[in-house]
This record gives sequence, structure tokens and C-alpha cells, in this order.
Amino acid sequence: MPPPGGYRPISFKRVPPVSYFSGAAMIGGYIGMIAGAAYLYVQNCKAVTKRELETKGASLALYPMLLAERDRAFLKQLRINREEERELMKNVPDWKVGTWYGEPIYLGADKNTYFKPDIAEFYAHSSYEELKKRVDFRFWC
Amino acid sequence: MTITDETILPTEEELTVQEINLTGSVLKTAAFHLGKACEYENNEFILCREETQDPRQCIKEGRAVTSCSLNFFQQIKKTCASEFTQHANCIDKSSSDQKFEPCRKTQAVFDKCVKDNLGLDRPPYDYFNKIHVHKTARPKPPVEGPAVYPDATPGLPDDVEKPPSKYGNRYLFFW
Repeated sequence: MPPPGGYRPISFKRVPPVSYFSGAAMIGGYIGMIAGAAYLYVQNCKAVTKRELETKGASLALYPMLLAERDRAFLKQLRINREEERELMKNVPDWKVGTWYGEPIYLGADKNTYFKPDIAEFYAHSSYEELKKRVDFRFWC
Repeated sequence: MTITDETILPTEEELTVQEINLTGSVLKTAAFHLGKACEYENNEFILCREETQDPRQCIKEGRAVTSCSLNFFQQIKKTCASEFTQHANCIDKSSSDQKFEPCRKTQAVFDKCVKDNLGLDRPPYDYFNKIHVHKTARPKPPVEGPAVYPDATPGLPDDVEKPPSKYGNRYLFFW
């Protein structure tokens, strides 16, 4: 039986969530924020590129000087290696320096042609530790 | 070794010059002005290296590069030693990878000193990344022509008769 006076009215009124922004404002805000972020992103990219170019430029400017110094040290070491090989193989008959018993690595090339020696050959007369230091340079630096 | 007795290596005296005993941060500090001051020598040396691919033939150019750099550093030491030291110190200690960014103030002081004393402007930040035309008196290396083999199979003579092929050619749209 219903209570006297009847049931309370059923609350069926729709309660929509509070709308803070209209649709147009939200889309407009989205576009505005993206545009602002894109502007900042581009500015940052430019700054980063500039910084990288400057660093690269400094190293490019120094490259000839360092290369000249390295070339001289390299050629000095080549001469030392050649003398070292002569000294090491002096008791071997028919041994010719830089060749395998007179057989060169490159047949038909001019005798004076420069072939950059392999790194293991370059370090052949030093200890393995020295070679490793140079070859694994990128790991410990 | 590829270096035989016939390979001519430069002598010890040719290779011994006064080297620049400076550390990385100091070199990096001076890099832009150094590159600008020794631009001609650097370009000559790198051109030689790229053309010949042989360090033995570029010893003279390399010596010029080193002496120019040495001269530059001596001039800096004579005129802008304190500004240079300050800037190098900043670059060395402001960041872990020697950034230029935190040292713009000391850089401005150093730049002004170099400008006043040596008349040398700091080149733009991307100066060394761009391609520049280098005028040189260096003769162009001879271009190696195509190889000629004496025992190569001779080709057909020019006036040989070339009749159309007997059965046409095969042509499908993709085959």
C-alpha cells in the first residue's frame, strides 16, 4: 500500500554535467595550444641545430691542424716500424722488408705507392694492450 | 706491412717541427678564430690530402698549417692572454662536454680583444660547415684515363654490315 499522501515524486530531471567550455572554444583552444607548442618546438629545434653546427664547426676548423700533427707522427712511426721489422727479421735469409720473401702485397703497383697499413700491422711490433687501447678507443672514451 | 724498402718515407728532420702542445678545451676555445686566421693554409693542406690521399706528399702543407697555428697562438698569448684564459677556463669548467653556450659573456670579451688587437672577426657559427671556394695555385692532379689493355678483344669495324635480326626482337610490355 502506498503511504498516505502517495509516494514522493520520482526524480527524473536530467542533470547535465556542467559545461565549462563550448565546443568551438575547445577546438579553438586545442588548435591554439598546438600552434603555441609547435612554435616553441621549432624555436628549440633551431637552437639545437645552431648549437650542433657550432660544435661541428669548431671541430672542422681544428681538423687540419690535428691532421697535420697526426700525419707527421704516423709517418715517423712507419719508419720506426720498418726499422723494427728489419731488425726482427735480420736472421731470416731472403726476407725483404714489407713483403713476404720478396712478394709484395699489391702486384703491379708502382713501388713507391702509399698503401695505408692495416691497423694490426701498424701495431704489430707493440703490445696487444696498445692495439686494444687504440681499437677500443670509443669504449673507454 | 705495406711499407717496403722502395717506399720513400720522409726523413725524421722533415717531420720534426714544433708542435702545438695544447689541450682540447683550449683548442676548442680558439677554434673559430684559428680556422679563420689559417683558412688558406688549412684549405691548401686539406686539398692536398684529398687530392693525393697520401700523407707523404703533404708534409710541406702540413708544416705550414702548424706554423700558422703556432703563430696564431703566440699572437693570442701576446695580446689577449687573460681574456683567452678566462674564456678557455669557462668552456672547460661550465659543462661536461665543453659547450659554447654557457660562455657567451667571456666569449664576447675575448672576441672584442681579438678584434681590437688582431683585427680578426669571429666567423658566423656555421661558417666552417658551409662550402667555400678556395683559390689555389696548386696544379690539378692528372686524371687517370680508362685502362687500355693490349690483349683486349678487338671490336667490330665501323663499316660492318648490320642486317636486321632474322626473327625480330622479343618485346612484351614488361619482359
